[in-house]
Amino acid sequence: MKLTGPLERVLRVLTADLAARHYGYDLMKAAKLPSGTLYPMLARLEQEGLVEAEWEAQRADAGGRPPRKYYRLTAEGARVARLELAQAAADDRRAAASATRPAHGSTQ
Amino acid sequence: MTATPHVQRLAERLIRFSCRRLPADQGAERCQEWSAELPAILHDETVRPRVMRSVRALSYSAGIAATTRRLSRTAGWSRRAPAPAWRDGAAQVQPNNLGLRATIGLASWLVIIFTSVSLLRAFPHPHGWTVVLILALAAAFVIYCLTDILRAPAVRYLPKWAWALICVVQIPGGGIIYLSVGRVGRSHSPLPPGSAQSP
Repeated sequence: MKLTGPLERVLRVLTADLAARHYGYDLMKAAKLPSGTLYPMLARLEQEGLVEAEWEAQRADAGGRPPRKYYRLTAEGARVARLELAQAAADDRRAAASATRPAHGSTQ
Repeated sequence: MTATPHVQRLAERLIRFSCRRLPADQGAERCQEWSAELPAILHDETVRPRVMRSVRALSYSAGIAATTRRLSRTAGWSRRAPAPAWRDGAAQVQPNNLGLRATIGLASWLVIIFTSVSLLRAFPHPHGWTVVLILALAAAFVIYCLTDILRAPAVRYLPKWAWALICVVQIPGGGIIYLSVGRVGRSHSPLPPGSAQSP
């Protein structure tokens, strides 16, 4: 799995609360992604078994709202996501450290 | 008084249209899933002004169109089998330079608008023949765009009739948007080497 920027944002949202279920628009807003990016990604993650989807049961108090499909990470997905995010954070730290370190000869 | 139900219906229609690319069973479920998101978008109180919710709902369904295109491409389904090779070739060149194309389109539109406004200021009472010339130019441009849409083997993002409508409704902006964003360049037609033919 290659951790791209959008994927990282989605995984951050999904790992923030593993028990929480997210519907598509909710995820779009939280991860600030357009639908054209989010749904192909979700489909891929679902195919790889990292994300599971379930239909909401029809509720009487929904006011005629059609049932939604909710997504959340599977146990395997949570494991992989945490690993990838930690890896990305470590990479970032290393990059930041090398950026703030003064270059040779730049200071007297 | 509110446009919301109309927008919802239009967005649902676009989603249903996009789902026709998927296999029937999957398409039905996906269509249900995506349409169910529309009320949440159209009644999202955090989005203001209200018209932005409509814009969001429509851009959401445009994203769905991109999604089904991508899903059907990765899974190798074609909407109407067997698809001719050029159609696959055209679909495969999802432009990654979409931003550039859109910017060029927008820029040329701004230039045209700016020039016409300043010309109109400089010559507030144009002669009859000038008006005729400009109208002829506009008509020629629209006809050019329409024939291009009609003859193109495939167009991007929207169905052909939608592009045609856009070209006619907004002159010259619609035509420019079509040419910069919706048009599939002829140079892209050949299949990239090694790509799979449709089954």
